[in-house]
Amino acid sequence: MSAEFLVAAVLVFMVGSALAAALLRDVVASIVAFAGYSFGVAVLWSFLRAPDVALTEAAVGAGITTVLFLLTIARTTVSRSERFEGVSLRSGLAVVAIVVTVGATVPALPAMGAGGTPVLGGEVSQYYLDNAYDQTGVTNVVTAILVGYRGFDTLGEAAVVFAAGIAMLLVLRQEEFV
Amino acid sequence: MSERDDQSDDELEGQLSRPGEERPPYVESTIIMTTVRVIAPFVLTLGLFVMFHGASSAGGGFQGGVIAATTVVMLGFAYGIEPIAAYLRNEQLAALVLGGLGTFLLVGFGSYAFGGTFLEFTLYPIHHGSKYSIELVELGIGVVVSGVITGLFFLLGTGLDSAYDATEPGEEDR
Repeated sequence: MSAEFLVAAVLVFMVGSALAAALLRDVVASIVAFAGYSFGVAVLWSFLRAPDVALTEAAVGAGITTVLFLLTIARTTVSRSERFEGVSLRSGLAVVAIVVTVGATVPALPAMGAGGTPVLGGEVSQYYLDNAYDQTGVTNVVTAILVGYRGFDTLGEAAVVFAAGIAMLLVLRQEEFV
Repeated sequence: MSERDDQSDDELEGQLSRPGEERPPYVESTIIMTTVRVIAPFVLTLGLFVMFHGASSAGGGFQGGVIAATTVVMLGFAYGIEPIAAYLRNEQLAALVLGGLGTFLLVGFGSYAFGGTFLEFTLYPIHHGSKYSIELVELGIGVVVSGVITGLFFLLGTGLDSAYDATEPGEEDR
């Protein structure tokens, strides 16, 4: 019961910081609110027992992304303001329409942690849970799947990060010589 | 939109933050510099722990690599990005990233030597061969991620400055 209360508190915090990130006129304050939102997501993942995802969200979403945003903003002349962004009627209606449309799909989802959902009942995930330690010798089943069973996919991910890094070196250094 | 901006600039005179070229290269705050000096080794250790221990607890190469790169980011904020970027050149970072991906590929292709197929870790003839090769792969991923993030940080922190200097004075903003 208390866990549900904590999850609800985190959700309220997330909605609040998301609204702040969208509505604050001060860009730096908006970035900080966005980092707060990311951190809320990370806390929510760890409440939902997904520590690997929580760690990634906290490190990448709340940490590095914020630093890169701040670094970019620091290169410009930022106008500090204490006011909120004005919301026009049309964009307000669009937001309401999107929220209603997406919210209408929520009752179609199975209850959280309910038995019989495809993920819990699937043969593949059960196979991983049963055999991961015997076949790979790794106790963290997430790592066993990522590198052991799906190593080729992970190699692709590493190659994508590598290619992005090389492309960034080329493109941003090109700017330097213009 | 631009009218409102101009108006708010006039009203809030003195609240504008300084443009890039007038700022000191680093924070010049004793508290931040001392804190960073004290906690940087611990953050690096945590990053390496998350990287190496991903096989037995939450974590892995991606997360650990980001945490390890945070050390460089912290040092950059406290002591200035330029001197640290001058110390760690882009070529070295590229070699680091290439080495990480190379480690992954080497471990992947290595199983051919023992009569297996690509990425068949269980064939390595050492105790817990599969576990150690998985950890080595995680380390490679971590090196790739931390190298890319450090490079991005340096490029955003320093690269644009030279472009800024290259433009004629007086035509940067307006």
